[in-house]
Amino acid sequence: MKVTAPRSAPAGASRLSLDVLFRKFTGAIALLVTLSLAGILIALTRESWPALHRFGWHFLISTAWDPVSDDYGALVFIVGTVVSSVIALLLAIPVSFGIALFISEMAPRWLREPVSAAVELLAAIPSIIYGMWGLLVFAPWFGNLEPWINDHLGAIPWIGALFQGPPMGIGMLAAGIVLGVMIIPFIAAIMRDVFLVTPQALKESAYAMGATTWEVARYVILPYTRTAVTGGIFLGLGRALGETMAVTFIIGNANNLSASLLMPGSSIASVIANEFTEATTHLYKSALLALGLILFVITFAVLVLAKLLLLRLDRMEGRRA
Amino acid sequence: MSATPRIHTRSESSETVAVSGIGAVKVDVRALNFYYGRFHALKNVSIEIPERQVTAFIGPSGCGKSTLLRTFNRMFEIYPDQRAEGQIVVDGEDILKSRRDVALIRARIGMVFQKPTPFPMSIHENIAFGIRLYEKLSKAEIAVRVESALTRAALWDEVKDKLQQTGTSLSGGQQQRLCIARAVAIRPEIILLDEPCSALDPISTAKVEELIEELKNDYTVVIVTHNMQQAARVSDRTAFMYMGELVEYGPTEGIFTKPSKKQTEDYITGRFG
Repeated sequence: MKVTAPRSAPAGASRLSLDVLFRKFTGAIALLVTLSLAGILIALTRESWPALHRFGWHFLISTAWDPVSDDYGALVFIVGTVVSSVIALLLAIPVSFGIALFISEMAPRWLREPVSAAVELLAAIPSIIYGMWGLLVFAPWFGNLEPWINDHLGAIPWIGALFQGPPMGIGMLAAGIVLGVMIIPFIAAIMRDVFLVTPQALKESAYAMGATTWEVARYVILPYTRTAVTGGIFLGLGRALGETMAVTFIIGNANNLSASLLMPGSSIASVIANEFTEATTHLYKSALLALGLILFVITFAVLVLAKLLLLRLDRMEGRRA
Repeated sequence: MSATPRIHTRSESSETVAVSGIGAVKVDVRALNFYYGRFHALKNVSIEIPERQVTAFIGPSGCGKSTLLRTFNRMFEIYPDQRAEGQIVVDGEDILKSRRDVALIRARIGMVFQKPTPFPMSIHENIAFGIRLYEKLSKAEIAVRVESALTRAALWDEVKDKLQQTGTSLSGGQQQRLCIARAVAIRPEIILLDEPCSALDPISTAKVEELIEELKNDYTVVIVTHNMQQAARVSDRTAFMYMGELVEYGPTEGIFTKPSKKQTEDYITGRFG
């Protein structure tokens, strides 16, 4: 109200009250968002309470998932979610870095916009399309590739176990790769933006010393934008963790834990999507909601971390300006 | 100085003649034209930069002095719409046409920018970075080179106890001297200074100027400056540029005491610019 006080025109009084009304209205909407977030958390916790109460901390480390004898554990799905997301990141980070570097440092001006737009369009494709593409196009092709992976990567000691399995196409690795393609636009867009705000004088200084584009990127641009790049990666990770449709299509939906990435698996989001309608018993439903709560907590933590890192970049920018 | 100031004008600039009293020529620019897209920024500029002396480029903003400096290490090449035509001969080789890796050309020509630009790494790394681009040295050898470069830039005593701190933790003046040390560390022959003091306070400026004086014993120094007093203080030869043309070039003393062109006189007496 202090802000509007200087208005002293005759119409001031009514305008003032309108302003107050508007402020209350917008405030209420903002509050509503926060309340619904809290509401979701409360509802999830309450609904999943029976399962959490019954299994306790054991729920987090149990691999059981047996609706018949009402015995549930989250480990298979937590592992599936984390592993598929990590594979996605391993694929998306270098590709996004290359795209961002090309757009910001190497592409001629006329090519910048088209490439940026094309990458951003990847984000506009509905995830169910990715799922269908993954199942009908990518998986059969990938299935043909898997015998080769078996023979070559599977023979490597230690990590070989990760690449041994039936050539079905679908599975943890395939899901991770499709997820990787899906999060590339998010990571690439943030990397591109921060690469472009790296001071030109700083890049020129490195070029002036005779550094190549790669050396400038590796030793100057990347360290300079480290925080924001990490934030962007976490943002992508947040999306990968919660992705449901595409993963459900291609991960294989097997409720068991396997060392091999070629084996079918299951993620938190995919098991909820698959089984929620069939959850007949009270405890079954509660266990699925408990999975949801776990996903909520994981994703929330990752996104908060991303926001914090990006915030730190903003502050850095502010100090420089 | 007995030599009369050599004056380049448009009519005679396409031919370069050996200049008496200038000593060995390090950089010989012949009929250089430069374009930012369609904008013609340097018009038929020819100038000879003497070895192991300080040459200053002065002139009002937008006259092309920084543009000229940035052609010496082909810095403009990282921008697709900028191009240069003509010749820039360094030690007998036209660097504009050279087929050699541009990195090797830049290794011989160090550059310091208007604002200090320490890299996002430690003080030690800021200097070691450039050395490692060209030479495979042991840690101990690098440490020696880092110390000698910092000593060269009159910074060693101030930073020797905090080499592992980030370069940005230094003051502006120290950062700029760090950038000079960084340029010196890769042992160039020519050092280009693009308004190196414009972001510095008077005390730091004095230190950098002292350093420039020192540097010319070993290096060919070219400095772009807005500050005419600075040009008068540090340079042996001065070039006055206006609207993309080299108006007058000669021994600094001559340019500032009896310029032969009206434009030069108007500029140095503060009538414009």
